[in-house]
Amino acid sequence: MNSRKAIILTAVVTLFFAVFFLFPVIMVIGEAFVDRDGGLTLAYFSQVFVNPVYLEGLWNALLLGVTSTLATLLIAFPLALLTHRYRFPLKSPLSALILVPLVLPPFVGAVGVKQMLGVKGALNAFLEKLGLMDPAAPMDWLGEGRFWGIVVMNALHLYPILYMNIAASLAHLDPAMEEAAQNLGCSPWRRLRRITMPLTMPGIFAGGAIVFIWSFTELGVPLVFDYSRVAPVQIFDGLKDLESNPFPYALVAVMLIISSAVFLLSKALLGRSRLGTAPRPKGRNVERVLKGWKGWAITLVFAGVFLLASLPHMGVILLSSATDWYGSVFPEQLTGAHYEEALGHPLVVPSIQNSLLYASGAMVVDLVLGLAIAWVIVRSTIRGRALLDALVMLPLAVPGLVLAFGYLALAQEGRAFSFLVGVNGNPAALLIIAYAVRRLPYVVRAAVAGLQQSNVTLEEAALSLGAPPLRMMKRIALPLLSANLLAGGILAFAFAMLEVSDSLILAQQAEHFPITKAIYALLNTLGNGYELASALGVWAMVFLGISIVGAVSLAGKRGGLFRM
Amino acid sequence: MDAIRADSIVKDFGDVRALNGVSLGVESGELFFLLGGSGCGKTTLLRCIAGLEEPTSGQIFFDGEDVTALPTHKREAAMVFQSYALWPHMTVGQNIGFGLEERKVAKNEIAERVREVLEMVRMPGFESRGIDQMSGGQQQRVSLARALVVKPKCLLLDEPLSNLDALLRLEMRSEIRRIVKENGLTGVYVTHDQAEALSMADRLAVMDGGRVQQVGTPEQIYRNPRTAYVASFIGETNLLEAKVKNATDRQGVAVETDAGELIGRNTDDHWTPAPGEKVQVSIRPEAIRILPEGGQLEGRVVETMYLGESIQYRVRISQGVEMQVSEMNPRAVLEEGSRVGLEMQVEDVVVLRE
Repeated sequence: MNSRKAIILTAVVTLFFAVFFLFPVIMVIGEAFVDRDGGLTLAYFSQVFVNPVYLEGLWNALLLGVTSTLATLLIAFPLALLTHRYRFPLKSPLSALILVPLVLPPFVGAVGVKQMLGVKGALNAFLEKLGLMDPAAPMDWLGEGRFWGIVVMNALHLYPILYMNIAASLAHLDPAMEEAAQNLGCSPWRRLRRITMPLTMPGIFAGGAIVFIWSFTELGVPLVFDYSRVAPVQIFDGLKDLESNPFPYALVAVMLIISSAVFLLSKALLGRSRLGTAPRPKGRNVERVLKGWKGWAITLVFAGVFLLASLPHMGVILLSSATDWYGSVFPEQLTGAHYEEALGHPLVVPSIQNSLLYASGAMVVDLVLGLAIAWVIVRSTIRGRALLDALVMLPLAVPGLVLAFGYLALAQEGRAFSFLVGVNGNPAALLIIAYAVRRLPYVVRAAVAGLQQSNVTLEEAALSLGAPPLRMMKRIALPLLSANLLAGGILAFAFAMLEVSDSLILAQQAEHFPITKAIYALLNTLGNGYELASALGVWAMVFLGISIVGAVSLAGKRGGLFRM
Repeated sequence: MDAIRADSIVKDFGDVRALNGVSLGVESGELFFLLGGSGCGKTTLLRCIAGLEEPTSGQIFFDGEDVTALPTHKREAAMVFQSYALWPHMTVGQNIGFGLEERKVAKNEIAERVREVLEMVRMPGFESRGIDQMSGGQQQRVSLARALVVKPKCLLLDEPLSNLDALLRLEMRSEIRRIVKENGLTGVYVTHDQAEALSMADRLAVMDGGRVQQVGTPEQIYRNPRTAYVASFIGETNLLEAKVKNATDRQGVAVETDAGELIGRNTDDHWTPAPGEKVQVSIRPEAIRILPEGGQLEGRVVETMYLGESIQYRVRISQGVEMQVSEMNPRAVLEEGSRVGLEMQVEDVVVLRE
């Protein structure tokens, strides 16, 4: 590509990025260090570490991040290893199916879990029926174990990210390395510990960092579980009196610093190991066919993980179609009434429309930007394209909460982004950009992978036969990239549909609520709010299910989308 | 006027200088070869001509017109890629018709010309085939047809035969030359295969280290190499280190090698060897006659390789100097260890500047 065009593209993209990503983030950090009179201060910042409430919230968030990551690894590593080493019955549908939980909104699933694990929930009813629990003194599972409930929800939601990263690392591993160890007399377990594990570290670090940041800053699940002693929820609660209380800013700044540190650390470890860049061994299949009960045992493990991960959402489906589900294992009677009622509720239909609008807007923005960025990264030779590559990955390190916070502050009257707020405080433009910025890395990765796979001479041939660059894009480059772009775009769409932080913070009026905020609002309504929320959740899952099945079947190659 | 002219082309990739002031001209209707080892800059030069790379400095002219700043798609220089670069989402017919569509040719004329060109590359009726339904040789022909059909000002070929097996490569050599000549095209052809260049080229440029070493017809290059690099890259040769003894000998240049005294000729008009100057001497193996005794040099056969139509001997001359000698149509094989004499004509002994 012509370097002048590349430089212009880079400049435009960088400007967009600077305005809508760096600026709000820096602004948030700035607010944390500026006092009421505009002077620099460390008071708020240090207060966070003195105030026992905030300190506890941060500590809990950190603990949540670490334990969720470990729990995720515990699920993901064995799965990745099994699928790398063995062929077992139903392998290909199951390998696709176990990725599905990633797009089941944990926020919605939490509603189902609450129903099942509550004092009068399904689990207790089941135990009472078996006579294992005294009906007079039921166990409050979520009261005692909210923390672990969140960890389990996070792990069951996020393990696909780690799974895909580890699977990709294993696929890049030269089988000869393992065979050499075997050949030198290394037992299978020692081989796993001394050869396979160290060589998959790039995948573990890359995925682990994303999982950590995600669960460290998770807002939705703690909110549904009423777990308020964790930093993200404290920040969310602090929004109400932001004018008088600057501490949420300081808390956000601390979370940002921790997230960035983890991100940079994983990058540094990844860079030093140089394992990530090892060339892919040529088409050697190391899968062993497992026959009989051994094969089926692995099939069972995969199916079990999927069932476990989708259990909360099945709870949601049951709840949404239950006349009454209180103190019993299963709902007494099933009904479609909630769906009907939900469609008549003033929050529901507009929220679905809003979410579709916001998410598809974000997808379009991401596709245009992602393609331009990937083009510069892969096809141009300008200096600084590696920097651009690193820059667009940064949103992975920045919690949604931080960005949402920055946008909220900048959208106030008289601030830089106030022009983005529409009539009656319509947050559409704001939400579209916020969604787009945070999903950009996935689309860029998808487009980069596609461009790298497609030989550049295919494009050069079109130019040399007289097609001007734009025609060449339309007739050659885009058709060849379409599968990757579609996969990346649909993923961006799906994540935007179930986004929590930006949605909860930036949408203020009921008529502008996206689905997630509508669900949150319904949960706080008396009467049948839970059932209506579930019904809306099911609607959302239906939309997502359709888009994801499309994305997975188009993407072909797993792993490319979530690699750093 | 040259159809294509490169004038002092320099191309840097970061700190690496791929082309270091290359100038050459390609005449209209000529099949011109760029020949050299990997990294010599030949492909970079071709890509500069195609407009796929922008020279750091220097100019490219088509028919006397400066096209250095002209983008690829306006140059009318169709390229055949080493990887063929056939678009997998289009059929054979769509691939070939692409360039015509871009030139806004009418639909029925496109169909007609696609049919014609497929006949020319001996693949009639392949229009609706998918790209992955063809063998490497067929893909090669389609990629050639795709470039030919637009009747380009010049045809650029980047190692087009390197992915084919040996037999097919031989067949395609004459095929490509026939097509280029029949259509009166100007062609620039990049290869590292000297046999390909010698057998197909009207003229060729031998490149090394980002520079053109020598330009000429295959015969000129083979018979009159001007540098040791050219002599050893094109064909096989024996290179001996030597010192000039008498530069103005009546018969030629007399030099003293480790093996003995030889008389040779100078191929470089811009150079007059001076007595005492260090030089190299190049003698082709097939230019040496092997005799039971006599000749300018004497030695002992240390290795014999029987190839049917010829025998290749490795002969050790005194003081550890060895020479390759090939004898065509051999009637008998000399045993290893036998003493032999080597005889050569003055015009086959080329004295090269160090």
